[in-house]
Amino acid sequence: MTTKKTTGKKKENTQKNTNLKKEIEKLKVELKEKNDKLLRSIADFQNYQKRIEKEITCHEQETKKKYLEELIDLHELLKKAYEDNNPKEGLKLLINNIQNFLEKEQIKPIKCIGEKFNHNIHHAITTLEKNDCEDNTIIEEVKKGYMLNDKILRPSHVIVAKKVEK
Amino acid sequence: MGKIIGIDLGTTNSEVAVIEAGKPTIIKSSEGQNYFPSVVAFTKDGEMLVGETAKRQAVTNPEGTIHRIKRKMGSGEKVKAHGKSYSPEQISAFILQKIKKDAEEFLGEKITEAVITVPAYFNDNQRQATKDAGKIAGLKVKRIINEPTAASLAYGLDKEGDHKIAVYDFGGGTFDITLMEVGEGVFEVLSTNGDTQLGGSDMDQALVDYFAEIFKKQHNFDLRKDPKSLQRLIEASENAKMELSSTIQTDINLPYIAVINNEPKHFEIKLTRAKFEEIISKFVDKTEKPCKQALKDAKLKPEEIDHVVLVGGTTRIPLVKKKVEEIFGKTPKRDVDPMECVAIGAAIQAGVLSGDIDKDIVLLDVTPLTLSIETLGGVATHLIDRNTTVPTKKSKIFSTAADSQTSVEINVLQGERPMAADNKSLGRFHLDGILTAPRGIPQIEVTFDIDVDGILNVNAKDLGTGKEQSIRITGSTKLSDQEINKMKKEAEEHEEDDKKRKEKVEIRNNGDALVHSAQKTLDEIKDKFTDEDKKAIEDALKELRNALSGDDIDAIKEKTDALTQVLQKASTAIYQKAAQQAAQQHQQTPGEDQQSSSEEAWTGHPDDDDKTINADYKVKKDEDKKDKKK
Repeated sequence: MTTKKTTGKKKENTQKNTNLKKEIEKLKVELKEKNDKLLRSIADFQNYQKRIEKEITCHEQETKKKYLEELIDLHELLKKAYEDNNPKEGLKLLINNIQNFLEKEQIKPIKCIGEKFNHNIHHAITTLEKNDCEDNTIIEEVKKGYMLNDKILRPSHVIVAKKVEK
Repeated sequence: MGKIIGIDLGTTNSEVAVIEAGKPTIIKSSEGQNYFPSVVAFTKDGEMLVGETAKRQAVTNPEGTIHRIKRKMGSGEKVKAHGKSYSPEQISAFILQKIKKDAEEFLGEKITEAVITVPAYFNDNQRQATKDAGKIAGLKVKRIINEPTAASLAYGLDKEGDHKIAVYDFGGGTFDITLMEVGEGVFEVLSTNGDTQLGGSDMDQALVDYFAEIFKKQHNFDLRKDPKSLQRLIEASENAKMELSSTIQTDINLPYIAVINNEPKHFEIKLTRAKFEEIISKFVDKTEKPCKQALKDAKLKPEEIDHVVLVGGTTRIPLVKKKVEEIFGKTPKRDVDPMECVAIGAAIQAGVLSGDIDKDIVLLDVTPLTLSIETLGGVATHLIDRNTTVPTKKSKIFSTAADSQTSVEINVLQGERPMAADNKSLGRFHLDGILTAPRGIPQIEVTFDIDVDGILNVNAKDLGTGKEQSIRITGSTKLSDQEINKMKKEAEEHEEDDKKRKEKVEIRNNGDALVHSAQKTLDEIKDKFTDEDKKAIEDALKELRNALSGDDIDAIKEKTDALTQVLQKASTAIYQKAAQQAAQQHQQTPGEDQQSSSEEAWTGHPDDDDKTINADYKVKKDEDKKDKKK
């Protein structure tokens, strides 16, 4: 009676073991597949990154080309103006062209002389003591600043008045 | 877990980086710059400014602007601004807050943790103060690491076994030298030295003085006294300094630099690298003494240093590099941006802590060379490009090159050369049993699959019959560096020749394909052509065939173009005729004048009308341009 019971249990156990082994094998295969999939996704992502990087360089090159072409034209015309004995009229047109180009690109000069100093768009390079104007107003523009759309392209470099306290 | 950022909290500027997809990325400030000026200001209106905006207003508000707070860290000394006093930790916290905010905007997620770098000579007080500053800013400082350690991490020097490193940090305002020993990823500082009053700005000033003195001699006018002229001179000096890092001479042209006695004056001068080096050499020489002292303190000889790492923008100057080589007797490392390498190293440390850098996953192999198959005319057609991360899989559809071709050979190639014969053949096999069909009709899908172990499986499948064939190639990614470099070098050397040879084959292939499709067109729609056109096509076809039997590539190209033109002319005539017929039909049906007005536009686009005859050759040509099997 007891021996029968143990053999029965043994049988049951071996059956359980084979089932577990099968399960383990199945999970092993599944894990291997999943691992492969994961590695492939990571590799795909890295390859995608590489492609995007290439595309960005390509894009930058295109943008550069556009502006360089304008610059080349400008260079050619300036050379002509240099040869001209009376270049004023030609230069005026040239300046107009550049201005139009800048306007088309939404580039606008920053107002500064007489304005109150604003750290968001102005860069103070020095101050001058004055008593005939308000404190912190801009009295001289050293380098013109520009806005691109509503973002700052480069700040105006300015000299700011310091009121002398009497 | 959120991302941890790496911060190089500097004396004049701070930089921040983060690991994204396993790679360090520099985070830009909201002003669009790669760095954050370490400047904090309090305006009279009670507004607090940090970074670029604080810098812009500094001269107008000297009593409210705080610079170089790093020098006061841990000293217990307070700084005053408009009567209120602040601890250095507080001021640093304002800078860190700005960095945190801009980083959050840049990454689109909340940042709560950071790794911050400090100079190697910082004592416990100074380190604690830096940690406290992080806490005030709402950042949990996961680790404080030494700047030279961070720079070494950026170069991956922690992975190279036991060795000694010298980090030469020459920035805008300070010079630091640190000697370290690294073993099993642990860095130990052996000695540090430096000069807190020496930097690139001294060089800029010397250059401005040099230019100003020359102008003074010429015009008896000091440009430094006019703020407008001085500003342009400073910018020109900075540009000249950068330019001379890569060229040996530069022109400084400053038109309308000043107006003297109502007369505009220009400044023009050539500056050679030799002259520039003469001007700056005294500053560069000054770095030698601290280096020697550091070596002495560490009881090391220069030849015992294994690696020299350069940090700081000033190290871009060739003379500085030369000096470093002279002192340590070896070429310094410099492929990481010297301005960014401390922040990058901090980000790498942060990445290790956050698990964004897990060596087991991220370090996947790449294919060292391009993998391709041989196609019509002996051309190597790329399947997987060089430098592609594996595991990866790519497929392309090819076709037959001749009518009734029933077998294709797949020759698997490795290398950068455009012609198959110049590359290494990794293996070849045949796919048979392709159904008898005109060239270009069967579709054979070739798939390259490289698994994670670098084993390449090449499979060719006839999409018509479902028949397939494949081979396994091991070791396609395991080439020695020597082999790879040799093959790359060969490709570079032969680039011009190869291009010409490939062009020749392409011209021949195009001619060949055109002959085929023109003949087909002739056979199929003979009666649509006028006799005159037909004769012209036949003649041109004959001439092209003759050219193809010879070796004159120019002749083949010329005859191909000639035949293309004749064909185009003839087919245009057919379309026009068809269009006229259609127009006549339309005119008979009223109320459709809209369409008739647009007819001219679609004469060139046969797809719009099913009545139009498909002139096959153009389509064919496109197909041919893709790929054809040998």
